[in-house]
Amino acid sequence: MSEYSPIVPREAIERSFAKQGPKQYTLWVDIEHCIGCNACTIACKAENNTPVGVDYNRVIEIEEGDFRDASKTPNVGVTFVPMPCMHCGQPACLAACPVGAITKRKEDGIVLINKDKCIGCRYCAWACPYGAPQFNAEAKIMEKCTLCVHRVEKGLQPACVTTCPAKVRFFGELNELTMVMREKRAKGVSISVGGADTKPSVRYTSK
Amino acid sequence: MNALIELGLQVPVRLDSTLCSRFRSTKSECAACAAVCPAPGAVRLGDGAGNNGAEINAACVGCGACVSACPNGAIRLLEDDQRVAERIAQKVLAGDVFRFACNRAKGRAEMVLPCLSRLTEALVLEPIRRGAQRVDLCAPDCSGCGLRKTAQQWERTLAFSQALCESAGLGVARISSVRVEVGNAEEIRLPARMPNSRRRLFGAIAERLKSGGDAPPLETEVVEEAEAFREIVQRHSENSKRTDLLGVLDALPGLSVTSKEVSTAGIPLAQLEVDQRCVACNVCETLCPTGALTHREEGGNYALDFDAAQCTGCRVCELACYHQALHLRETVDLSLLFQRSRVTLISAALSTCQGCGERILGTASAFCPACQVSGDRRDSVARRFFSGGN
Repeated sequence: MSEYSPIVPREAIERSFAKQGPKQYTLWVDIEHCIGCNACTIACKAENNTPVGVDYNRVIEIEEGDFRDASKTPNVGVTFVPMPCMHCGQPACLAACPVGAITKRKEDGIVLINKDKCIGCRYCAWACPYGAPQFNAEAKIMEKCTLCVHRVEKGLQPACVTTCPAKVRFFGELNELTMVMREKRAKGVSISVGGADTKPSVRYTSK
Repeated sequence: MNALIELGLQVPVRLDSTLCSRFRSTKSECAACAAVCPAPGAVRLGDGAGNNGAEINAACVGCGACVSACPNGAIRLLEDDQRVAERIAQKVLAGDVFRFACNRAKGRAEMVLPCLSRLTEALVLEPIRRGAQRVDLCAPDCSGCGLRKTAQQWERTLAFSQALCESAGLGVARISSVRVEVGNAEEIRLPARMPNSRRRLFGAIAERLKSGGDAPPLETEVVEEAEAFREIVQRHSENSKRTDLLGVLDALPGLSVTSKEVSTAGIPLAQLEVDQRCVACNVCETLCPTGALTHREEGGNYALDFDAAQCTGCRVCELACYHQALHLRETVDLSLLFQRSRVTLISAALSTCQGCGERILGTASAFCPACQVSGDRRDSVARRFFSGGN
């Protein structure tokens, strides 16, 4: 992130990193302002060259409101929730993989599938509560959002982040992102699921 | 001189990773080699993450305990079991006692080994196969020995060999351990003296240095980095340790197989059961180090076959199965090793998933459960979390 608030000195931010544990790069999606254009989905498909049916990122549309009860106001609304891989702190996919093909990188917390090791058993797809791992039927292996690790390693941002026309996607280290977003008075939530908590790292800002 | 240094520095064992349970599956917690290794730091086990396999380095003392302990026969000494078996065959006197002794044992023996833990079940049974009346394992109290950590291994081998002997209808008493005093064991030499092999070795080295000048090139291991792990695990190497054992068991004189049920704990043998949770993912077949599991697809029917004689009870299949469809039975019938019957664990109709095109065991829907869950989950998780609040 390049936009630092002048109120929080950079040194203070850096000091806060030093205290924190391992780094966790992640995405922050402001779904309050997401327009549901699916540009992130398309940018991701183009960047990662995924076949039909394999989507690392998908935007879920949630429509609300009810016209059936005439006595109440319909209260219609639509929320768009982009769903990439959550790059969990304790990934369920990693625990399920029988051959250790899935790793969580210590240096940036990105959860990756090793294409050489993956035997295409789809155990990760069974295990992931967010439906992130996708089966590539051509290569017979599993794939999922890599947080555009090939771009991140070059110092670039993920394709979905640079493409987003509404500028609702943010990429960075989780503590840094939290700092920056706090300046914008935005509170992040991560999607929790019932059962075992996998500690998802992707944050959403909703109303 | 270089040749001698190279000989000294060589790790006396070879590890074939493709047979190692740990290498094949990170779920495996097999530590059979490390548990019996007397040399500190000689066996390094992976961390259970990306690289889980075992590694043996130059700290190895070459006692051979791991060779005997590894159920899958992944570890081999430079002097392999075949050659030891030949040496045994030369020394057996029909109808007599054959004594194995360790270096520290007092007295004379047909075969003296650095440590009795070198013996595999096939080697213990080899003299009986060659006509010996009894096999004695002569050893002093192991607690005073530097290799004492290996004692559990040769005692396990002895117990399993006795059980096999009983199952073969020969009786337990044919194999026994004899406690002797500490001393220097003397190997009974063959009547016809063999040429002095040490003199021959030095002679050969001198010859080579004179003629060639250069030392022979160091034997480098071929590292096949180009081959992906996925392709390596598709391959199944032969478990030569089990092949040897089966060969010995078949050739035992006076064989009359009786069934003998023993607990699977500590025995490299198992019987499997598969229940209806199986989804035909073939992970058990892929990851099985010895190729005991194979599948057949005939006319839209899926069948999983199991060869108990090849199974080493390493539990990789049981631990790896996400659906927990596969289980080891608590007891195992030793006569399975003599019978070699292949059993079909599960047989059911297959259908093709409309989503991923994978073959799945019969479901009512056109989509396999994996496609259903991953498609629905994204939607339902987001919906459940964000709707209602706004």
